[in-house]
Parts: sequence; structure tokens; C-alpha cells
Amino acid sequence: MIKRLIYIFILALILTSCKNCTNNKNADQDFETEFNLPDSGEIYDGDLEISESAINEIVQNISSPVEMAALIKSLGVPYSKEYLASTDYVDNYDTNYKKALGLGIFGADLGYLNMYNKTGSVIDYISAIKKLADGIRVGQFFDFTTLKRLATNNQNLDSLMYISVQNFNQMDRYLRETKRSNLSSLIVAGVWIESMYLVGEVSKKSPSSELTEKIGEQKIILSNLMILLKNYEKVPEFKGLIDDLNDIQDMYKKVIITYEKGEPEAIEEDGMLVIKQNDKQFIEISDDIKTKIIIKISDVRNKIIQL
Amino acid sequence: MKYRYILFILFVNILLGYNLKSYSQSGQELVDICNIIADEATYLKDFQVKLDAAKPGEEKPTSRFSVLLSKNTIYRFSICNSKDYPGKAIVQLYDNNRLLGSNYVVASGKNYPTFDFQCQTTGVYHIFIDFKEGEQGLAVALLSFVKKF
Repeated sequence: MIKRLIYIFILALILTSCKNCTNNKNADQDFETEFNLPDSGEIYDGDLEISESAINEIVQNISSPVEMAALIKSLGVPYSKEYLASTDYVDNYDTNYKKALGLGIFGADLGYLNMYNKTGSVIDYISAIKKLADGIRVGQFFDFTTLKRLATNNQNLDSLMYISVQNFNQMDRYLRETKRSNLSSLIVAGVWIESMYLVGEVSKKSPSSELTEKIGEQKIILSNLMILLKNYEKVPEFKGLIDDLNDIQDMYKKVIITYEKGEPEAIEEDGMLVIKQNDKQFIEISDDIKTKIIIKISDVRNKIIQL
Repeated sequence: MKYRYILFILFVNILLGYNLKSYSQSGQELVDICNIIADEATYLKDFQVKLDAAKPGEEKPTSRFSVLLSKNTIYRFSICNSKDYPGKAIVQLYDNNRLLGSNYVVASGKNYPTFDFQCQTTGVYHIFIDFKEGEQGLAVALLSFVKKF
């Protein structure tokens, strides 16, 4: 009986140690992945006007491409591939600066494609994103295989959206953790520029008060984005982009945003808690300013993608 | 008999340790669970919080995040607590200076796994997360997009 128990014990020990072997292997891989630090040239070691934690906070305060695309779709505007940046020239994004901006641009386009369930075109965009992400060493966070499978089989489109948005968040988080907030800021800028471009182009073809308001309220988001980018204004590559966005910020000075405070209330609807804000926000933007902003955004965006 | 007993205890310990290790929840698992709880809403961001228990006589540890929310949009906050810790997360949403709401309603003592926020002004909002009665906890608050209104 004792012998039998000893055999069982040894067997259990072997099984457990084998499990640990696998764990250790994974742990080693995780360690390598986690500490696969970029070349020193990629790390921004210049002076920062604001702290890393403030940068992290501001990055969270740039609106998501999902919401822009959802607004466009909710207005009944048909899908158009014409609005999207071409992935044919992805190899021309040959510096970290261009790769990060391109990642943002294609990320916004991917949000638009996912919103309209255009899985056929999604594969081109996830391939381009994977290439650019690998180029700045964050490709390990982009689950290309799963996304490609979901897009190819045209199945579980909610998962396609979920995984792609989450992968972008993970890439961004990792860049900031490894002191490469300069690249994270460029991705965020790329997403914003492309989202604004999409809204602007749709607004030209199918004008609506909702889109006009969306363009006007970007005054708030752009001011956050500028704080972020101005951190790197001494970097020559950033200068052109900052100057262009400065011009847009000047145009936004004529956009007036006012508020009327209300009392928030919490109510239960069908067992679910709903919080109503009850504030009002008024956005005044003239057609002239809106047109100027759309034209300038288009110029900035086309400059980035015509590499 | 004594050897048998020791061997049996060792065996049980090894297996138990093995199983506990396998089932401890990670932040990512909580995000996945939370995304299911969020139902039809589209995932936007997640906020993962791990806090120690409050020390006697001190305030509860709290984490703060800020996020930009857009006008005329319904957002959903889903809250998932790790089963490995006792703490139940309380998520509070603030604008610049006011508490707008929370998943924990003090008046009724009810804790909601999700709440919807009907946002009417575009701007920066602040999310404060702590654990009920200052217990130690690991939780995820997931922000998702429901619809424009």
C-alpha cells in the first residue's frame, strides 16, 4: 500500500513539475516579451513639459474611433471605401514617426470598417497594422491570427471589434510603460486626424447638424492633443505636425462652447441603473469655419498618407 | 500508518496548489468577463484596479482615472470583481467637481454590476474606484459604447 502511495506521489510530482516546466517556459517568454526593450533611439529621453502620468491621463482623453464611426453609421450614411487611406503603400512608412502615425490612421479606418461589418477589406488593414506594429515593436499585442480568422470566416464580428480595440489599448499602454509616449502620442494623433477626416468628408457629402456639432466639439479634444504633442516640439519630425495642428487650433478659437448646468439623477429602468446628466452644452460653429477646418484636416491627413 | 498519512497530505497539497494556481483570475480574464456582462455594448476601455486593504484609521485606498466622453451618447460601465479577493468595487463617476453617480446606491444599499450613463456634454470625466469597507480587492471597470441618442 505504501509503495502504491509512493508511486502516486511520484506520478503527481512529475505531472506537477511538467506543468511548472511549461509555466516556466511561458514565464521566460513573457519575460523576454516584456523586457524586449526597444533600441535606445526609440525611447524619448528629452525633457517633458508634463509628467508621464499626466500624459497617460491625456491619452485617455482623446475620443475613440469607434464613437466617430458609430455616429456616422447612426446617421444612415452609406459605407464608402473612398474615405479610407490606402494600405498599398504601407512599406513607405519607414520611420518610427511615420509608422506610429500610420498605425493611428489605419486604426481609425479599421474602426470604421468594423462598424460597417466590411470584413472583406478588414484583412488588408489588419495586415498593414500588424506590419507597422511590428516595426515599432508592439506587434506582440496585435492578435493578427485571431483577427484574420474572424474576418475571413465573417463570424463573430463583435469579437473582431472587441479584440482589435483592446489590442490598440494594449499597444498604447505598453508604449507608455516603456517610456515611448512619443510614439503613443503619434498613434493617438493619427487616430484623431483620420477620424476627423472621415467626419469631415461625410459632412461634405451628407451634411447634418450632428456632424457639424461633432466637428465643433473637437475643440476640446484638440486642446488635449496639443498638450500631448507640444511635449515633443523640439523633435524635428514633430514640428511640422504641431504647426499644422496649431493652424487648426487657431481656427477653433472662433468656435464657442457654452454650458448650462442641471442636476444629475439616478433611476432604475428594467432593473438597470441609469444615470442622467441633465446638463446642456451648446456648440456654435459657423459654416465658414467648419469648411476651413475640414479642408485643413484633409491637407494634414493627405500629407501623412502620401509618403 | 504515519508515512501513509504524510504522503497523503503531501499529495493533496500538491494537487490543491496546482488547482489553485490554475484558477486564480487575471485582470485580462476579468476584462473578458466584463465584456460579456456589458452585453451588446461596444468595448472602449478598461480600468484595472488592485488595491490593498485600508489600514486602521486611514482612508480607503482609491484609484483615479480620467476619460473623455461625448455628448448625446449612452455609455455603459460594467464592474467585475475577482473571486480571489474579498473586495467589491465601488465605481464613482465625476465631472469636474460633482459626483454624477455610482454603481453603489447608498440609499438602497444596492450594488449594481453595470450602470448606464447618458452623457450630455463632451468633456473630461473622472472615475474613482475603491472597495467597499476598504477591503483588499482586484476589479475591472469596463467602459463601453451603447448608442448615440
